[in-house]
Order: sequence, then C-alpha cells, then structure tokens
Amino acid sequence: MHTSKQEPTIFGVIAEYSDGEAVLAAAQAARDAGFKKMDAYTPYMVEGLVDALGNKDDRVPRIVFICGLIGAGLGFLMQYWITGVDYPMNIGGRPNLSWPSYIPITFESGVLVAAFSAVVGMFGLNGLPRPHHPVFDAPGFDRATRDKFFLCIEAEDEGFDARLAKEVLLATKPDSIQEVPNL
Amino acid sequence: MPQIFSKKANYLARGSIVMTGVVFVLIVLISHNVTAYTHDLGVAFQQPAPFSHKHHVKELGIDCRYCHQSVEKGPFAGLPPTETCYTCHSQIWTNSPLLKVVRDSYTTNTPIEWNRVNNLPDFVYFDHSVHVAKGVSCYTCHGQVDQMNLLYKENAFEMIWCLRCHRNPEAQVRPKSEIFNPNYDYSQHETLGKQLVEQYGIKKEQLTNCWICHR
Amino acid sequence: MSEMNGKYPEDMGLRDAPMIEGEHDYGTVTDKIGSIVLDRPSPRQWYIWGGIAGICLGSFLVSFCWLIYKGVGVWGINNPCGWGFDIINFVWWIGIGHAGTLISAILLLMRQRWRTSINRLAETMTLFAVCCAGLFPLLHTGRPWVAYWLVPYPNALAIWPQFRSPLVWDVFAVTTYLTVSALFWYVGLVPDLATLRDKAKHKLAKIGMGIMAMGWRGSAAHWHRYEAAYLALAGLSTPLVLSVHSIVSLDFAVSIVPGWHTTIFPPYFVAGAVFAGFAMVLLLVIPIRKWYGVADFVTMRHMDWMAKIMLATGLVVFYGYLMEMYYAWYSGNQFEIALASNRLSGDYKFWYYALIFCNGLAPQVLWSKRVRHSLTGLFVVSLIVSIGMWLERFVIIPVSLSHDFMPSAWGGYTPTIAFGDVMFFLGTFGIFLGGMVAFVRILPMIPMSEIKHLLHLEKHESHPAAQAETVA
Repeated sequence: MHTSKQEPTIFGVIAEYSDGEAVLAAAQAARDAGFKKMDAYTPYMVEGLVDALGNKDDRVPRIVFICGLIGAGLGFLMQYWITGVDYPMNIGGRPNLSWPSYIPITFESGVLVAAFSAVVGMFGLNGLPRPHHPVFDAPGFDRATRDKFFLCIEAEDEGFDARLAKEVLLATKPDSIQEVPNL
Repeated sequence: MPQIFSKKANYLARGSIVMTGVVFVLIVLISHNVTAYTHDLGVAFQQPAPFSHKHHVKELGIDCRYCHQSVEKGPFAGLPPTETCYTCHSQIWTNSPLLKVVRDSYTTNTPIEWNRVNNLPDFVYFDHSVHVAKGVSCYTCHGQVDQMNLLYKENAFEMIWCLRCHRNPEAQVRPKSEIFNPNYDYSQHETLGKQLVEQYGIKKEQLTNCWICHR
Repeated sequence: MSEMNGKYPEDMGLRDAPMIEGEHDYGTVTDKIGSIVLDRPSPRQWYIWGGIAGICLGSFLVSFCWLIYKGVGVWGINNPCGWGFDIINFVWWIGIGHAGTLISAILLLMRQRWRTSINRLAETMTLFAVCCAGLFPLLHTGRPWVAYWLVPYPNALAIWPQFRSPLVWDVFAVTTYLTVSALFWYVGLVPDLATLRDKAKHKLAKIGMGIMAMGWRGSAAHWHRYEAAYLALAGLSTPLVLSVHSIVSLDFAVSIVPGWHTTIFPPYFVAGAVFAGFAMVLLLVIPIRKWYGVADFVTMRHMDWMAKIMLATGLVVFYGYLMEMYYAWYSGNQFEIALASNRLSGDYKFWYYALIFCNGLAPQVLWSKRVRHSLTGLFVVSLIVSIGMWLERFVIIPVSLSHDFMPSAWGGYTPTIAFGDVMFFLGTFGIFLGGMVAFVRILPMIPMSEIKHLLHLEKHESHPAAQAETVA
C-alpha cells in the first residue's frame, strides 16, 4: 500500500535492544528527532510504548462497548419479536412482552457479540492475519517474540533518511542496527 | 530471519476469511430455496393406472365429491372404490389397455393400490370435514388439480404454510357454494373474507394454538 | 508421593516467595516452556495418560454409538427420574469448567499476578470440560441430530425456541460460554504461537504455528489493541462465568420440585462450580508441574492460593447445605420438610452423608498450612472435593425427583452400567483427558509472553510479592 511514486528500496531501519526500557527510551528519542512512521516489536507488552511511538489507538474498547449494546439490544428485540409479534403464545399466562424472562438471553447475546467484536476488531485493526510482512526479513527478527526488543523507523515516513535514522538510533545504544529490505 | 510465508499468503489468509462468509451466505440462501426440491413439488407420481384429474374434472366436469365422498363428513376425503370407476367404465373404454388395472381390481375384488401424493405427518391432526365446512376449498391446499394430468404436489405441507391461512383465514375462506369451484375469483374478496370468517364463526385467536393441530 | 511435597519449610512465609522461582530470563522462559512442545520428548507419564485417555475414548465411542442406535432408554432414566446421570454429569462438568475462566478473567481484572502461570492450563481444562458437559443435555434430548432446533432461525415450522424456559437460557449460556472461552483462550495463545513459530526448527512446525499465529509480530500498536481486547474479554467473561452456573441452577430453581425451588441456588451453584473447578485444576497441575519440570512457574505460592479459594468457596457451599435444611424447616412446607427428611434418612441417605463429608468436612483441613503446603494433601483433598461435588448433584437430582409430591408417583433411580450411564460418564473422561494430553503436547501450557511480562515486573520492583498481596 505504498502511496509514494517510487517504491522505497528498503522497508526501514531497525535497531535491536535487550530490554523494554531501552526500546522505550529509543522510541522517545526517535520521536523527538521527528520521526512519525515507526513501530516497535517486543516479546511482551511494554507499557507506554505506544505513547512514545505516537501510534496509540483506543478504538477497541469503544467497538466492544457499542457492539455489546447492539448485541444485547438485538437479543432482546429478537425475543420480543418472536414471542410478542411473530408467534405470540400463552405460556403460563405470561404477557406477550414478559421481559424479565428475556434478561438471561439478552445478556448472553450482548456478551457473545461483544466478545466477537473484541476479537474481530482487534485482529482487523491490527491488519491481521498477515503472515507475510517486510519486517520479518530483518536479521535476527525471530527473537522479537523471544527475548529481543526492536524499533523500526519505516521508510514511508515523510522525512525519512536512512542515514539520519541510523544516527538517531545509534545514539540510543542498540545492540545492533540493520536495514530492513523491502522485497 | 527469512519469511515463512510468501506475499501471496496474505491474500490467501484474508481470502479464506471472506470465503468462509461467502460459503455461509450461500448455505443460507440455498437452504431457504430447496423446499420444492426436498418435497418433490411438481413431480408427477407414478400410479397403477394413469388417472388424469384434468380429464375427469375439467373436461368432464365431475365434482370432487363424486369420488372423494367423505370429504364433507369425515377426517379423510376418501379414495373411491373400484365400483365408483365402474359407474362409467362399465360402459365406456371397457377394452382400453390403460384400464386393465381397474378391470383386474374389479374382477378379483382387490382394491387398486394408489400411491399417496399429499401426505401429512402422523403428529398433525387434520380433518377434511371441518376445513370444508368452514369454507376452505380443495384447491387451496391441493393446488389446481383440474389442471393436472398426473397428480403432483403443488404445496409443501410445512407448518409455516399451514399457518399462512391459520393466521389470516380471511384471505382464503370462500362461500359454501364456491368450495368445489376450480375457477373461483378472489378479486372481490377483501370485505367478503371478513364477513365469511364471522359468518362461519371461525375463532381466529385459537387457530394458531398448538393443540389445534397437535393433539 | 513424598517427593512431591512442597519445598517450603513451614516457617517460611509464602508472602515473600517470588512468583517465578529459579534464575530465568526471557530466553530461558521461552526455552523451558516452548521446548516442551517443540523438541523435548514426552515424559513416560504422558504415554500412560494418553493410553488411559484412549481407553476412555473407546468406551465413549462404544456407549455413544449404542446410545444413538438404541435411544436414551439405555440410560437409567425413567419415570419419575427423567433426569439422572446425564444432568448430574452435565452440571458436574460445567462446574469444573468454571475455574478456567475464573482464573483467567476475574483474577486478571483483580490484577492477581499468580494467575499467569496456571491460566492457560485452566482455560484449556475449561474448554474440554464444557465440551463434555454440553454432550449430556444434547444427547439427553434423544435426537441430537436435530439439536440445531435449539437455535432460533427462521424455519419451515415457523416456530421458535421457548424463551421463557430456563432450559433455553441454558442453551444460550453454555454455547456463549464455550464460544467466549474459546476466543479468550485463542487470543491468549496468539503471541505464544508466534514465539513457537519463530523458535521452531522444523518447517512443518513453523508453518503450522505460523498459520495459527496469524502473522503476529509483536508490534507495539498491536500489543496495545491486543491488551485492550484481552481486558475486554476478561471483563465480559467475568459476569458471563457467573451467569452460566446461575442459569444452570435456574434449570432447577424455576421448577417447583421440592429441594430445587429455592433462591439460594444461583450463588450456591456458582460457589460450588468454582470449588469443583479449582479442585480439578489442582488435580491436573500437581502432577503436570512435576512431570514437565515447570515448578519454577507454578510454585507453592500458586498452590496455596488455590487451596485458599477452595476453602472459601467450600464454606459457601457448606453454608448452602445448611441453609437448605433451614429453609425446609422454616418454610413449614410439608413437601420441603419431607424432602429434607428423605435426604437425611431416605433411600439415598448414605450419599447425602458422603456429600457432607466430602464437601463440608474434608475441605476444613485446608485451614492448616501444613496441608496447603503438602502436594499430597492438596491432591487428596481435591480428589475428595471432586467426588463430593458430583455427589452434590446426585443428591439434588434423583433424590428430589424420586420423591416429589404424590407418594403414588414415587420411584427410584438406578443408573445403568455397561453401555449405559457409567460407561458413558467414563467415556467423557476420554474427551477431557485426551484433550488435555493433546494440548500439553502441541501447545504451550504456560503463557510465555505473560510470564515474560511478569518477569519484567518482578525484576523492577523491590517488593514484588508485597504489592500483589495487597489486593489479595
């Protein structure tokens, strides 16, 4: 999904660190240097990293909340429509809209839809499934899910300059700096 | 670290999710349109003798009740005994090879084994006489029998189909005189239907109770 | 089993014990847990239990086929006891299936760090337990091949499920619970699957794990949304887990059968479910941590907390038993009184006293620190509790049904053994054990990414245990 005219030859510049604090500091430094399009790759969630990178996205909880309400509403309406409108039946003399007995299923359908929306929303916003990604070509990247922390400044950034990016990253004392090819 | 999956895998991964949805929609669409297939609607049944309702009803003008005698009196419409056939066929087409089954039945005194076309499950209580008495025509359920050479099912006797009339009898009930009329005209029916429901004393609110049909 | 005893001397407070023992860094955590799946040969016990699961699965298949062929008459259910082993086992299994989500969701929301080591195992146990549970009502309907009738969908009959019936609520509750638990479990697995994908040497393992990991690459933006979704799932599961057993209890409480028609049923069932669930987690965890050498992650501190939760919920359950007797007396209702005296002195009185022993008296030994710190002791108590919780459902169901209102309609209940109730019940252990055996072989049993997070937190805090304790 490259919008620029010429395809960048590299995906970005990636630096490797050994702990979460280092990558957090590096992200802050890169942000201060003016880079915007970057991402960090860590084996567990490092708190505050999205704030440092500036790519925080809080839409998932909202999606879940709204979908939960929609699910519960639809669950209730379904029961009301079925028992009150489509085929009213006399069950133990209850009125057609016997709402107390709809509560359990209203709740369950709300939870079900909300849970699906959490999972689908999370994977969808994350752009997953995406088994192929340029960053996997970075040398030693298999340790990003093991014990290493990576920061990648992407070539798509407007002010990207590989030399400048390397300089900024070098100042954060990484274990290594590599270019990520864009194959 | 080398890539495990090629770029195409991204399309494959997303495509498989989309395809799951497409397949689901297809299954829903198909399963909602197979009623005619699963119920053999419009398929002429093989019978021992090629009896044509079209010929007897439309061309000769024989009333339904001439053969299906108990339709006004009992739960079953009744199948005619071979003697009923013989009221005419002792005189006409007496040597026709098509009627050999009828002659054999008559001479050996064994009934003809017709194949049942319209069948209702045993858990449904159905009485022909009450339907006829309350203005439901034969043609409402059995289709335009007067147009059928060999008899076939026109309607799937599914509950949802029964309920269309049980929920809204006004649209179907006819005056007493029109019950056996194959060419009844429903165009003037709007006010008449309501009048008839009242006149027949049909208790609409009971018609969708479970026990009306499942006793 | 003496070597299985915990390593803490009695005078050492668990309060100061670390959540993760031994010298570990992110790499060794990955190796220790990941290699169980990827390269270490399975211990001998794995084969033994796999064999046992296989035998049970065989008995499941035989009794299942016989049941489908002959109908539910092969079970011991008949008038007046239309509910027998099937519903007992349903409630028993679904109760066991509550610990997983409780550990995963409620303890996550309460920021209880000790959940981390055992949550995956408990969630997996939940999934298989709920599968076993679901089988029983499904087959009890007699025609499981039309079980989809339970779902409201536009159909040729123009009729719908009866939404005022607790049995329909149950269908929704159990299927929602199974679905949400499976989603929760899978979302929790994704980062670990990515870890295994990157760690694996074998091409097939890489591809298999890679497909399941969905291309997870540990991006910070992804982690942020992931954590939000995971928390949301936990927040949703918490009331869900409480609702499921409440609704199961309403299957009974909404009826008018003596002994069932009480308002205490929902809380008392939920507590019983947690009680049974933790007992089953302990039964699984105690041997597995030893066989797979993961005692560094599942420490005595975990055992101690699970024992305390068992004790607390056990007391709630015991209170429920006492209350049932009190209700009967206080109601002045002759049927309730007759039921209470039938429990105490009727045909099934032995099972009632066994229940009181198993669930009421036996867990009291957990007050003792020595028992809580003895793996053997915990194992035995958990076993007794598991049996006791089964007896509880036995006492509730056939004892009430066999003697309800009219003496002329009284009867008894005898389960069938060969090809019937008992064989089928054993068979569901095949599903449960077989599932667990397969799980520990092909998926990481301890969440690696969460352990790493915990390792990070523990390293960077001066008094790690003290902070976690404040919430506890």
